[in-house]
Amino acid sequence: MAESQPTAAPQKDERVREMSSLRKALIRPELGAICGTILVFVFFLSIASDSGMFAPEGIFNWGTVSAQFAIIAVGACLLMIAGEFDLSVGSMIGFSGIIIALMSVQWGFPTWFSILVAFALALAIGALNGYLVVKTGLPSFIVTLAFLYILRGLTIFIAIATTRKTIIGGVKDAAEGDPIAWLFGGKVFNWLFVWLADLGVVGKFVAGPKAGQPVVEGIPMLMIWALILIIFGHFLLTRTKFGNWIFASGGDAQAARYVGVPVNRVKISMFMFTAFCATIFATCQVMEFGSAAADRGLLKEFEAIISVVIGGALLTGGYGSVIGAALGALIFGVVQQGLFFAGVESSLFRVFLGVILLLAVILNTYIRRMITGER
Amino acid sequence: MSDALIELVDIQKHFGPVIALNGVTVSVKAGECHCLLGDNGAGKSTFIKTMSGVHKPTHGKIRIEGREVNFESPRDAMNAGIATVYQDLAMIPLMSVTRNFWMGREPEKRIGPLKFFDFTRANQVTMSEMAKMGIHLRSPDQAVGTLSGGERQTVAISRAVYFGAKVLILDEPTSALGVRQTSNVLATIDKVRKKGIGVVFITHNVRHAMAVGDRFTVLNRGKTLGTAERGNIQAEELQELMAGGQELAQLEGSLGGTV
Amino acid sequence: MKKTLFALAAAAVAFTGFSAPAVAEGERFVLVSHAPDSDSWWNTIKNGLALAGEQVGVEVEYRNPPTGDIADMARIIEQTAASNPDGIITTLADPDVLSGPIQNAVAKGIPVIIINSGTPEQAAEVGALMYVGQPEYDAGLAAGQRAKRDGVGSFLCVNHVVSNPVVGERCRGFADGLGVDLGDSMIDSGQDPAEIKNKVKAYLSANPDVDAILTLGPTSADPTIGALQDIGKAGEIYFGTFDLGTEIVKGIKDGTIQWGIDQQPFLQAYLPVIVLANYQRFGVLPGNNINSGPGFITKDALAKVEEFAGEYR
Repeated sequence: MAESQPTAAPQKDERVREMSSLRKALIRPELGAICGTILVFVFFLSIASDSGMFAPEGIFNWGTVSAQFAIIAVGACLLMIAGEFDLSVGSMIGFSGIIIALMSVQWGFPTWFSILVAFALALAIGALNGYLVVKTGLPSFIVTLAFLYILRGLTIFIAIATTRKTIIGGVKDAAEGDPIAWLFGGKVFNWLFVWLADLGVVGKFVAGPKAGQPVVEGIPMLMIWALILIIFGHFLLTRTKFGNWIFASGGDAQAARYVGVPVNRVKISMFMFTAFCATIFATCQVMEFGSAAADRGLLKEFEAIISVVIGGALLTGGYGSVIGAALGALIFGVVQQGLFFAGVESSLFRVFLGVILLLAVILNTYIRRMITGER
Repeated sequence: MSDALIELVDIQKHFGPVIALNGVTVSVKAGECHCLLGDNGAGKSTFIKTMSGVHKPTHGKIRIEGREVNFESPRDAMNAGIATVYQDLAMIPLMSVTRNFWMGREPEKRIGPLKFFDFTRANQVTMSEMAKMGIHLRSPDQAVGTLSGGERQTVAISRAVYFGAKVLILDEPTSALGVRQTSNVLATIDKVRKKGIGVVFITHNVRHAMAVGDRFTVLNRGKTLGTAERGNIQAEELQELMAGGQELAQLEGSLGGTV
Repeated sequence: MKKTLFALAAAAVAFTGFSAPAVAEGERFVLVSHAPDSDSWWNTIKNGLALAGEQVGVEVEYRNPPTGDIADMARIIEQTAASNPDGIITTLADPDVLSGPIQNAVAKGIPVIIINSGTPEQAAEVGALMYVGQPEYDAGLAAGQRAKRDGVGSFLCVNHVVSNPVVGERCRGFADGLGVDLGDSMIDSGQDPAEIKNKVKAYLSANPDVDAILTLGPTSADPTIGALQDIGKAGEIYFGTFDLGTEIVKGIKDGTIQWGIDQQPFLQAYLPVIVLANYQRFGVLPGNNINSGPGFITKDALAKVEEFAGEYR
């Protein structure tokens, strides 16, 4: 059977329905997160709209919390798409914070130098995490679980051994006039809010030394960082060669290696990026609150992973979206703070979170199957 | 045999005490489809991994266009123009056709100081290369997972051809496919051969081999049992050689046809 | 997909049902604590809060950071202020982190009362109306002096909340009361009962000559009782604890525990609600801070405590 008839005839499979362009535009990895976001906002607008949740002050409250989640979610998202986990994010937040506070307050180094050292250490630990995962072939779950304990223990030990306390305060005074501290703890566009307050859009403080100032001082740098990281992560993933490598490394590392993708390098750099994001989180927190504590960031790794999963990423890697993860973080933040606004008994927060997680994952699985033809 | 693109002479490969290959000699000429037949465990996989630079041979020579080479890695083999399409590792189903097609060789364009993945060009080339192979995609960002098994093989083959493969190794491309998809893949092999590329077609299905093969080499227990030209050998003989004995031939008689 | 969306909608509706705030005539007061969900001691606070709300006819809410992260607590205070309640009752577990949000709430014109953690001075600094609680260092000091009179020379402090420096002050006060250096006497026990039990056992076998044990609450006291029973030192070693709970009361009764220091958390939740309600209604305010503790609870007069332990005591 020499079947060399020219098969130029297009292989249209009559069993595959042509998709309408609307359907095609709708079916994307972020769809679940977009639906979730709309739903969550509709929900809270209907039950908590008179609670101050959607007044400027309230918006900044859940906005800041969402931005916090988003910062670590971007790192976790890219790493998860590259096929790995990092459970040491929360411990890394505590560790970086203590390093900054210890160096600037206890040992008197300039704040900018302390921040740089914290970033350098975090990147090195991220690289070590990645190196161990890549070289030993152990699941990243185990390796980073080990670092979850190692870093948390080290953080408490260092804090106790040098200051006999687990909370180191006074960072704000130490950071006074520092050239880069405001990049993390500062607020921008303050004039805008003074103007808005004069217009009556934003409320003003009525008592104490702050009387007359707007209740929202400015946009916290935390939010700016979240935006920068989301945009950077989104472009890196969808618009660059490296982004393609991230997908390939997580989709099928062996297949990627066969075509020359430097899978190990990709994975290690994603571990470093995750550590970088955790340190951004830590630095913003330390600079805003003026103190670092050894137990900061507890369970944050799971919050990051939950945001990413709500955002439509596949736990086993190779599939996901940074925009989705950012929306996941928004959902998480709005739900967490919104339940307080709505006056729901706070112990029900976890119930609610679990329900949302479950629904999001079911919806996302359904959407993903439509996109990838996976069965 | 100076017109051979690649020659492998007396290749042996030992894994500790296990002798996986024990003297395999194969050559591939430009524009031919060389079928490598063998039952499971005959050493086919080890052999193609040696040819594509994954394993280093314990003994024997590899010559490309007459020059002797040593592959240190799959990258070396790829640079020498040897592309391998693995049965199940050909494509990443979660990624789009374009992303798969360009994986590892992404085209870039510069915008200011930044370099971006040039999707306009990548999509264009992907669509036209796919069309040449007779696959009409709904869109280039369609996930590979939505393609059929035969289409996936074809994407992988056209990728290898586009990136200048001289020798294309196909690892059991038809073994998991239905009749219609198999014929499509065989047609693709024919197209590739006509471009002057040497194709190594690994299979254990004699009928698939007879459909497109120019030459046939049978592997049995890590050895080549000789190479035959098209027309000089019958399907039944190949079947017998693969089985390495008479037992199957008798069985075949009672089954009333080729297996 | 329609099905899934329907499920989502159904869930949303279901939650609307029991998340609608309970309609009450009166003002709305919010208590923000620093305790993680797992800390059972705060139950008394919740009960005191609810009782006071019922009695004076105001709406009360209890909120806490689920993991006990003080930075999360700061966000909750900010959020509470944004929801414009008639009063906030909160703690100063970490003044560095919390003073900013509390000051902003005060600046918005919301009356704030500091309870439990913190000092009267810190409370005044952030602009709170008053402080209701037990000055931690002083309580520890008093306990230390009492132990010294009872002949104690060395001790182990089982700290299950190392992250809260204010609570750690109890150990420091106790050491100063004894007249010894705190040194390595304080261990970070963590929150897990089995872990606490084993850490105490390990410490006691490494330091067999320790005279006394000080625990900082039921979370560390309950497993410590178990540890002492296991190694047969129950009733032998001098054992004092902060705060009360069912097991602690039992321990005091059977002689395992010499005394418990009650800071009377019930009052820390109950009194602020009463004070805030009357402040809002009639503009009246007590002239000073209120010390809800310390009170030493020994074997005598346990009846009332026992009856309400874990609920209102």
